[in-house]
Amino acid sequence: MNAVRSGTWTGRWLPLLLLGGLLVYLVVVPLVILLISSVTPSGFPMDPGWTLGHYVSTYFDAGFWNLVLTTSQFAVGSTLGALTIGIVMAWLVERTDLPARGLVRVLVILPMATPPVLLAIGWVMLLSPRTGAFNEILQGMFGLETAPFNIFSMPGMIFVEALSLVPSTFLILSPAFRNMDPNLEEAAMTSGASFLTMLRRIIIPLLAPAILAAAVFLMIVGFLVFDIPGVIGMPVGIFVLSSQIVYLANDAPSGLPEYGAISAMAVFFLVILLLLAYGYQTMTRRASKFVTVTGKGFRPRALALRRWRWPAFGFVCLYFFLATIAPMAILIWTSLMPYQASFSLELLPRLTFGNHLEFFDNRRAVMAAQNSIVIAVVAATAVALLSVLVSWVVIKSKARGKKLIDGLSFLPIAIPGTMIGVALIYVYLTMSSVIPIYGTVWIIAIAYTTNYLSFGSRATHGVMFQLHDDLEDAARTSGAGWLRTMRRVLVPLTMPAILAVWIWVMAHCMRELTSALLLHGRDNTTVPVLLWGYWTGGEPNKAAAVGVWLVIAMLVMVTLWQVLARRGRLGGAGGT
Amino acid sequence: MLTISNLHVEYALGRGTHLAVRDISLDIQPGEFFTLLGPSGCGKTTTLRSVAGLEMPTGGTIRIDGEAVFDAGRGVYVPTHKRPISMVFQSYAIWPHMSVGDNVAFPLEAMGIKRGAGRSKVEETLRMVGLADYIDRPATQLSGGQQQRVALARAIVKGAKVLLLDEPLSNLDAKLREQMRHELRELQRTVGTTTIYVTHDQEEALSLSDRIAVMNLGDVIELGTPQELYLRPRHTFTARFIGQADLLPCDPGEQQGDGWKVRTDVGELIAGIDVERPQRPTHLMIRPEHVQFVNGQAADRNALEGVIEGVLFSGKLVEYAVRVGSHHLTVYEASSQLKQVGDRIGLYLPPERCVLLADPAAEPATGPATAQYAEGGSA
Repeated sequence: MNAVRSGTWTGRWLPLLLLGGLLVYLVVVPLVILLISSVTPSGFPMDPGWTLGHYVSTYFDAGFWNLVLTTSQFAVGSTLGALTIGIVMAWLVERTDLPARGLVRVLVILPMATPPVLLAIGWVMLLSPRTGAFNEILQGMFGLETAPFNIFSMPGMIFVEALSLVPSTFLILSPAFRNMDPNLEEAAMTSGASFLTMLRRIIIPLLAPAILAAAVFLMIVGFLVFDIPGVIGMPVGIFVLSSQIVYLANDAPSGLPEYGAISAMAVFFLVILLLLAYGYQTMTRRASKFVTVTGKGFRPRALALRRWRWPAFGFVCLYFFLATIAPMAILIWTSLMPYQASFSLELLPRLTFGNHLEFFDNRRAVMAAQNSIVIAVVAATAVALLSVLVSWVVIKSKARGKKLIDGLSFLPIAIPGTMIGVALIYVYLTMSSVIPIYGTVWIIAIAYTTNYLSFGSRATHGVMFQLHDDLEDAARTSGAGWLRTMRRVLVPLTMPAILAVWIWVMAHCMRELTSALLLHGRDNTTVPVLLWGYWTGGEPNKAAAVGVWLVIAMLVMVTLWQVLARRGRLGGAGGT
Repeated sequence: MLTISNLHVEYALGRGTHLAVRDISLDIQPGEFFTLLGPSGCGKTTTLRSVAGLEMPTGGTIRIDGEAVFDAGRGVYVPTHKRPISMVFQSYAIWPHMSVGDNVAFPLEAMGIKRGAGRSKVEETLRMVGLADYIDRPATQLSGGQQQRVALARAIVKGAKVLLLDEPLSNLDAKLREQMRHELRELQRTVGTTTIYVTHDQEEALSLSDRIAVMNLGDVIELGTPQELYLRPRHTFTARFIGQADLLPCDPGEQQGDGWKVRTDVGELIAGIDVERPQRPTHLMIRPEHVQFVNGQAADRNALEGVIEGVLFSGKLVEYAVRVGSHHLTVYEASSQLKQVGDRIGLYLPPERCVLLADPAAEPATGPATAQYAEGGSA
């Protein structure tokens, strides 16, 4: 229906222009400046002259193609790993009689509370060839000469990245598994199809779009992630795109940041990521066409696993052990030790709270905590507000240009945090006299707002979709104007979901390392940057103590998020 | 009361445009229960939503009580919340985050009436729909029928001049629908509000309405009281859409006495007693329950002979498929006497129940023609 929302010209165009302008400022400006900087000799966008030199030196360098290869290996490897574990977990939880399915469904979100950088540090502490706790235990048990595992390798990086991506994979896939109408399977069976025929002709084709969408999403993350390759790969010289950018910006051999080279390199990956993002949007659209929710409260048949029931449960437990319990245990242990040491009973008398006490005593640490909270609250609020407006325009209004708004709000998914970091350095160094926020918390808040806009707007899209148009029209035919309709009907109905977005973004801002690492100065250190500093500065015990408190804060927020998201689903359904 | 003139609604659809409503004109009287009836996609809901201001028409005017709420020519568009209307939606659209009382109080709140002051009005309205005890219930704990009553209460509480109902009964089960139909009619009589009702259910339309506009493909095909449209339709579409009808192709015919003599496949028949004949009749209509079986001596006119080819027993009525020459007629009869397949029988088609029809598809519907339908019906 072509519902008319506003009759006047200004009413129809002004909000759109404001919103569009804001999105252009947040998303397009950094990208354009990145492009310009790739063709200026100094790498600074406002400097005179132009050159293709950066492109020539980048693309004719074998090292660059090596970087492309390494990054692709890493992305593909971690995608396959996360997809395999994620599919099995989603299938076990949603479609079989796995023991404690409900509990598993809740707990599977928990690894999200462990920032990837901490997961990587934990696994370095467990599997480092010299001091890794697991390695030492295995060497002791089997009398091995050398350490059996070396985390500082491509397989090591892929292993940890895959573990950290499983919760997202599960979240994308489990609705597809859950919402598949059992009637479709039953119809196949009553048509005389065997189990294998049914699997091949019905189940797999129905799930394929969702699985492909998840795969593309994971590839995107694999291409742009920094934390895990940064912790595990950088010390031994295994570079992927993001760690290369951080290296060139912070520790370049010449001593000066090589912005021109960074931009030239970034452009190549940006093209790949944009293609992937386009593919992702196409896939999810196709996946949503297959949504087979009938609105009846059906419960899919649970497949009886019989003797595989407990081995399957063991598999799930193993995942939790590897993704949370083991790395968290070593982090807690290390945070209580005066120096880095493996588990052992003899060390029990040396337990100390010194590292924890210092975290709360240290002026820098307290400031970092404050910074993190301010940035998280500001960015989360900005993302939540922008997302609601974007979704309202895209889903509910009939405004022209809403596809553009939709595209702009989705674009950041393809921009690595490192690139946003670098781009914002250009923007605010150039405009330092007009908007003097370089080196403050605000520049980081802006980076995160851009970064999480795509997630936020997708989440609020879902809620707006669920809201029947009639609920809004009923308010208007009851005599309520735009503002009252928003205040009394639309906002209260979407509130739980908006809060869920708010908390999700807050949690991710608290744990996000990448752009902050590039944008940090003396006064705007965040907790993850502090942790990174301790870790790379050779103080693992202090890093572990900071990490433990970060995880506690994250746990509280992730739990809140889950509670709100659940409420949002119930409250958001309405109309019939 | 409500005057719609030359209303025109077009959508952009892909590269082209879709014509949802083409140049319709309606004049609805104060206190009237007026129904827009037609198959889905006929433009009835679009018309209703245009009156509500939820749809932006491309042309025409809409006046409520003489005041223009929409006038394409003069650029008048009164936004929905400022129009003297209220509406009940097919999905009820009960706000799930408010109590029953808050839902009903909302239109008063929007008028600026304080909660305390409006309370008695809300209670009174809920009593009218039989939900007085539900005022503090959360809206999510209601059955379909109760939600429907809350939606009605919310629509009548502010006493708007025009009440718009968009298929309000279509989501209820059959029994409840019938009960609500009676309650709705009673309620409308008590409140006395001018009502526009949209439905695709002809039975609902016949039993509720003062007048009905039959719509198809964005046009008003015919307009009249339920009796007129059922007993004396003027167009083949109306005859087919409302009730069951057999349509025999016929020639224009000539006047004979108080009726018209036309030639059909089954012979010459007298039709259209005491009514104006359509300009170019193409069909003769007879409804199955009006055909009579005759034993023995046939009547002197409109008598036919046939063979029973099918019997469908449905309890109260029996439906016979009768072959007359090359044509099949459907005949309903009470189940007191049963006939067998193969029986030869005589039929009588009462001339006052044989109606001559024009085919609107054959007559291109133009602006003036539409206006003529409207005048013909309201006379």
